[in-house]
Amino acid sequence: MKIKAPKDFWAGLMFIAFGVGFAWVAQNYQMGTSVRMGPAYFPTVLGGILAVIGLAIAIQSLITAGGPVGRFYFRPLILIVLATVLFGVLLKPLGLVLSLAVLVGVGAFGGFEFRWKEVTVLYVVLAIFSVYVFVKGLGLPIPVWPGE
Amino acid sequence: MDLLNNLALGFTVALSFQNLLWCFLGVLLGTLVGVLPGIGPVATIAMLLPVTFTLPPVSALIMLAGIYYGAQYGGSTTAILVNLPGESSSVVTALDGYQMARQGRAGPALGIAALGSFFAGTVSTLVIALFAPPLAEVALKFGPTEYFSLMVLGLIAAVVLAHGSLIKAIAMVILGLLLGLVGTDVNSGVARYSFGISELSDGIGFVTVAMGVFGISEIMANLQQQDTRDIFVAKIDRLLPSMDDLKKCIPSVIRGTVLGSALGILPGGGALLASFAAYTLEKKSAKPPRNFGKGDIRGVAAPESANNAGAQTSFIPLLTLGIPSNPVMALMIGAMMIQGIAPGPQVMTERPQLFWGMIASMWVGNLMLVILNLPLIGMWIKLLTVPYRLLYPAILVFCAIGVYSVNNASFDIYMMAIFAVLGYVWVKLECEPAPLILGFILGPMMEENLRRAMLLSRGDPSVFFTKPISAVLLGISLVLLLIVLSPSIKKKREEAFQEA
Amino acid sequence: MRLLSLVVAAAGVALATAAFAQPYPSKPIRFVVPFPPGGPLDIMGRAIAQKLADVWGQPVVVDNRPGAGGGIGAEIVAKSPGDGYTLLMGAVSTHAINPSLYAKVPYDPQKDFVPVALVAQVPNILVVNPSLPVQSVKELIDYARAKPGALSFGSGSTGSTGHLAGELFKTMAGVDMVHIPYKGGAPAMQDLLAGQTQLMFDNLANALPQVKAGKLRALAVTTLKRAPTLPDLPTVAESGLPGFDLTTWFGVFVPAGTPRETVAKLNAEIVKALASKDLADRLAAMGAAPPENNTPESFAAFVRAEAAKYAQVVKRSGARVD
Repeated sequence: MKIKAPKDFWAGLMFIAFGVGFAWVAQNYQMGTSVRMGPAYFPTVLGGILAVIGLAIAIQSLITAGGPVGRFYFRPLILIVLATVLFGVLLKPLGLVLSLAVLVGVGAFGGFEFRWKEVTVLYVVLAIFSVYVFVKGLGLPIPVWPGE
Repeated sequence: MDLLNNLALGFTVALSFQNLLWCFLGVLLGTLVGVLPGIGPVATIAMLLPVTFTLPPVSALIMLAGIYYGAQYGGSTTAILVNLPGESSSVVTALDGYQMARQGRAGPALGIAALGSFFAGTVSTLVIALFAPPLAEVALKFGPTEYFSLMVLGLIAAVVLAHGSLIKAIAMVILGLLLGLVGTDVNSGVARYSFGISELSDGIGFVTVAMGVFGISEIMANLQQQDTRDIFVAKIDRLLPSMDDLKKCIPSVIRGTVLGSALGILPGGGALLASFAAYTLEKKSAKPPRNFGKGDIRGVAAPESANNAGAQTSFIPLLTLGIPSNPVMALMIGAMMIQGIAPGPQVMTERPQLFWGMIASMWVGNLMLVILNLPLIGMWIKLLTVPYRLLYPAILVFCAIGVYSVNNASFDIYMMAIFAVLGYVWVKLECEPAPLILGFILGPMMEENLRRAMLLSRGDPSVFFTKPISAVLLGISLVLLLIVLSPSIKKKREEAFQEA
Repeated sequence: MRLLSLVVAAAGVALATAAFAQPYPSKPIRFVVPFPPGGPLDIMGRAIAQKLADVWGQPVVVDNRPGAGGGIGAEIVAKSPGDGYTLLMGAVSTHAINPSLYAKVPYDPQKDFVPVALVAQVPNILVVNPSLPVQSVKELIDYARAKPGALSFGSGSTGSTGHLAGELFKTMAGVDMVHIPYKGGAPAMQDLLAGQTQLMFDNLANALPQVKAGKLRALAVTTLKRAPTLPDLPTVAESGLPGFDLTTWFGVFVPAGTPRETVAKLNAEIVKALASKDLADRLAAMGAAPPENNTPESFAAFVRAEAAKYAQVVKRSGARVD
C-alpha cells in the first residue's frame, strides 16, 4: 500500500486528529438531546464529520496520485515564531522600545539577507513610529520603557 | 417631493463647515485605523467617546460614522498590499487583491476597491434615504430560523471560495467552524475548549487568527527564497485601473452593491456575509476567462462594493429602530445616549436634521474617501518597492502590536504565533485558509441560531421549512450545493469512463 | 568649613525630598472596565476617568477587559497590587451574581477587593411585545399559568440581571416560562420587537425609547421603589409579588490592601464627579439614582447584602453555569 499523494495523506491525518480531538474534549460537556442541544452536541457532530472527511481524504490519497508535501524551511519558521513569542513575553516587563528590538532583530535574522546597519536603521524608524503613533497618538496603554 | 426636501435638509446639515471638518477627521482617522491591523474602529470610537461629549450631536455622529466606513477602506488597503485583512470583510479582498499586488498590479486593485466602494456607497445611501423604514421591517422578519438558514447558505458559499480540492475545502470549513466554537457557549454559559485559560473563555479573536494565518505565515512562506527581490514584481504596471479593467468590473460592482445593500440590513452578521457572498456570486457569474484566486480584478471589485454597501445599510436598524447591528453601532448608540438622544423609532421624526444629516454626510464621507485614497495609491505603491527584507519586519511589528492592542494581552500574541505555524503547515498541505476563516466566523453564529430556533419552537425542527424566508434560503442552499458538486461529479464520471 | 556647609546642604536637600513624599496619585491610573466598550458601565467609567484625570492632572486610562460576565477584568484587578493605581468598575454580576452562579470564580469578591463608591443603580423594567394580550403583571401571571411553557423571555446573557429577574419571577409567581439567552441586550431586544420572544426584563435605558415609541408595553419596574423617571409605572413588588427587588448596579473597587487614605480620597473625588451636572444628567437619563450616603463602608455593606441576596435568588431559580 503506497501513499500516492503524500500531501493529501497528511492533510487527511491532520483532519482526523482535529476531528477526534474536538469531539473528545467535547465529551466533558453535556450533550443534551437533538431537541434541546447541549454544549457538546454541535462540536461532537462536527468533529465526527471532520474525522470522517479526513479519513476519506487519506484513503483517497492511497489511490489517486498527488503532489508531495511542500518542503519545510525551518529557519524562517522558527525564527519568526521565536521573534513573535519573545516580543509577547518581553513587552510588559521591558516595554515597547526594547521588545521591538528583539522582534525586529530576531525577525530580520529569519531571512537570508541580514545586514546590521540596515536592520538597526529599520529598528530605529519602527520604534519611533510605533511609540508616536500607537502610544502617543492613539493612546494605547502599552508600556514604552521598562518598569512602566 | 418629500425625498428631495429631506435630502436637501440633510445636505445643508452635512455641508456645514463644522460638519465637513468632523467628517473629514472621522474618515481620515478611520482610514489610518483600518490600515493598522488589530486596532479597529471599535477601539478607536470607544477612545473618542469622551471627545463626543463636547460636540453637538450631529457632528459627533458624523465623525464616528466616518471612522467606521473609513476603516473599511483602510482595511482593504492592507489586505491588498500585504495580505493582512484588517476587518473580517476584507479577508475576501485579500484573496485576489494580494495576488494582484504581487504581480505589480496593486494600483489597479486599490483603485477599483476605492471606486467600487464609492459607487456602492452612493447607491446604498440612496437606498437608505428611500427605503429605510420598510427595510427595517424586513430586517425584523429575520429571526433565529432565518438567520440559521442564511448561515447555511453562507457556508456552502464558503466552499466555493476555494479554488483547489473541494473536499479539503469542506474539511477546512468544518475545522473553522470548530475553532469558532472555542469560548463561552451563549445558550448554556459553559466555557468550551478554554482549558481553564480565562483569555480563551471569550473565544479566539478573529484578528489573532487572521494575522497569524494570512499575514505571518505568508511572511514565513516568502522567506523561503534566498533572494527576496521578486516577492513583489518590481515593474509597476500602472497606478490606476485601465478603462478595460473598469468596463470589466461594472457588472461585478453592481452585483456586489445589490448583494451588500440587501445583506447589510440584517443585524448581527449581515454585512460580514456580504463580501463573502459577493465573491462567491462573482466566481459563478463572471464571464470567462476567469482567474479567481490568482489576481482577477473582479475578485476585488465585487467584495469591496459589497462590504461598503453593507457597512452603510447596517446603519438602517440603528437609525430606524434603535437596534445596533454590530459593536460599532452599539458604540454609536452610546454616543447618542451621551448626547441625551434616545435612539429608537422616533429619531427619524423627532430629529430629522440628525437623521438626514447623517445620511447625507455618509455620501460626503464616501466622496472624501475616494479623493483621499486615490492619490494615496501612489504612496502605497512606493511602499511596496521597499526591499522585502526590510518590509517584512515592519509587517511583523504592526501585526504584533495590532494583535496585542485588541485585549492588551500578550496571550493573543502567542495565539497568533500558533496560528502562524498552523497557517504555514496548511500551506504546505495545500489546505486553503479562506474557507476556514469563513467557517470560523459563521460557525458560532450558526450554532447559536440553530439552538435558539429550537428553543423558541420548543424542539420542532420543521420550523426551518415551514417559515417562508427560511425555506427559500435553504432551497437556494440546496441548489448552490448541487451547482458546486456537479462539476466534480461530472469530472469523476469522465474519469471513470476514461479508466473503463 | 566649605565641606561642612556642603554636607549640611546635602542633608537638608535629602530631608526636604523625604518630607515631600510623592502624593497620590503620582503616576497614571489604570481603570479596568470588565465589559465591552460602549455600554452604560463603560460610558460612566470613561466619564469618571475623565473627571479624575482633570482634577488630579494624572492620566486615568480605561482598560476594557470583557468576558466571563466581567470575571476576566475582575480577576486582573484582584491580582493587582493594592497601591491605588488600579481601579475596577465592578458590577452586580462580578461581585454578587457570578460567585453564586459559576461553579468556580478566580477571585474572592469579598476578600480580594475594597469597595470604594457606588456609581449607579439602574432598574430593569418588565416589557412585553404589544401583541401579548396582557396589560398588567397580574394578567401576565394569569396568562402564563394558563399556558405553561408558552412564553419565552430573552436576556442579554446567562447570569445577567435580566435572566435572574425572569427566574425569580418564575419561582415567585409559580409560572413556567422559557429563558432564551442572547449575546447582548441588542439582539435580545430585536427578537422581542419582532415577536420571537414575548417579554423581557431589560434595563431602563434600553427599553424606554421602545416603550415611548409604542413598540413595547411596560408592565412594571423590578426595583422595590418606583423609578423616578417613571412614577406611574408600578413595581413588580406592588403588583402581586411582594419582596421582588432587583437592580443592575455598578461601582468602583480597588484591590485589597489599598491604604485607607487612598480609598477615602478616591471616594471623595468620585462622589464629587457624580454630583457634577453632566454626570448627574447622564445618570438620570439612565434612570439611575445617585446614592445619597455614598461612603466606602456603606458600599461595602451594600455589596455584602447583594451577594447574600443573589445567593438566594440563584439557588431558588436553579440557574447554574458550569
